[in-house]
Amino acid sequence: MEEDNQTIRYVLNGDFNAFEKLVEKYQGRIYRHLRKMVKDTSEAQDLLQETFLSAYRGLKGFAGDSSFSTWLFRIASNTALMFLRKNRPEFLQYDEQIGIKNDDKLVPASPEFVSTPLEILLSNEGRKKIEEAIDHLPLIYRTVIILRDVEGFSLEEVAEIIDSSVPAVKSRLHRGRNSVRESLGTYYMERTVNGKRRALQE
Amino acid sequence: MMKECKDFCDRLSDYLDGQVDENICILIEEHLEVCPPCALMYESLKTTVEICNRGISDDLPEEVGRRLKIFLRIHCNKEQT
Repeated sequence: MEEDNQTIRYVLNGDFNAFEKLVEKYQGRIYRHLRKMVKDTSEAQDLLQETFLSAYRGLKGFAGDSSFSTWLFRIASNTALMFLRKNRPEFLQYDEQIGIKNDDKLVPASPEFVSTPLEILLSNEGRKKIEEAIDHLPLIYRTVIILRDVEGFSLEEVAEIIDSSVPAVKSRLHRGRNSVRESLGTYYMERTVNGKRRALQE
Repeated sequence: MMKECKDFCDRLSDYLDGQVDENICILIEEHLEVCPPCALMYESLKTTVEICNRGISDDLPEEVGRRLKIFLRIHCNKEQT
């Protein structure tokens, strides 16, 4: 955090290379965040450019009360939200319950998922399934999962980034995580059953 | 799922985040020891969080990075002048 603040001081003194250092440090994470928010890699590229340009323009106003990463992710989230409001308003229907059961019942856990080794869960195929499970979530759940579980921000930081409260973040995490757990559970259960079926046929 | 189990499972996400009081933590841990379905639910949620953390790449395609650099050099320099 202190290292970023030092770099920011250089940028504010007119050192553009210092700004490029900040960009290089955060571009991958910001791109991932935008990519998951808008679910479109080509749009995410444009929003990535917009985010860093806004950050450059607003850097003088960065007070250092929060970390630079929190501040930057807040800009990225707002940039994506503005884009979605204009181009994908259906993403912003917060009550939309795609993939989230209305009755809030928890689907039991899948033993097949839990017993699948980590190297399979994190294989190319496994990673694709994680991406799909997250993409399937409505925006408000998707965003908190990315910020908390993927980026590792604290609950307070997530609340600050998305302009919400800690209790609201917790409740969205609970529902979002359980929805991802269900999707992956179903996938690994079916994968195991199909594997056994194939073994029997051979 | 029994109501008691549902109540425990509803706290598991907060539990993973270290957001439940110590006395509730103890209750959850005691329950997980005697209730295999809830223990499985806990393992499953923990695995979900772990693989979300490790499974989404933050690789930036080279071309995207190159375009970003050029874009910022052009537009940020305009701001300075």
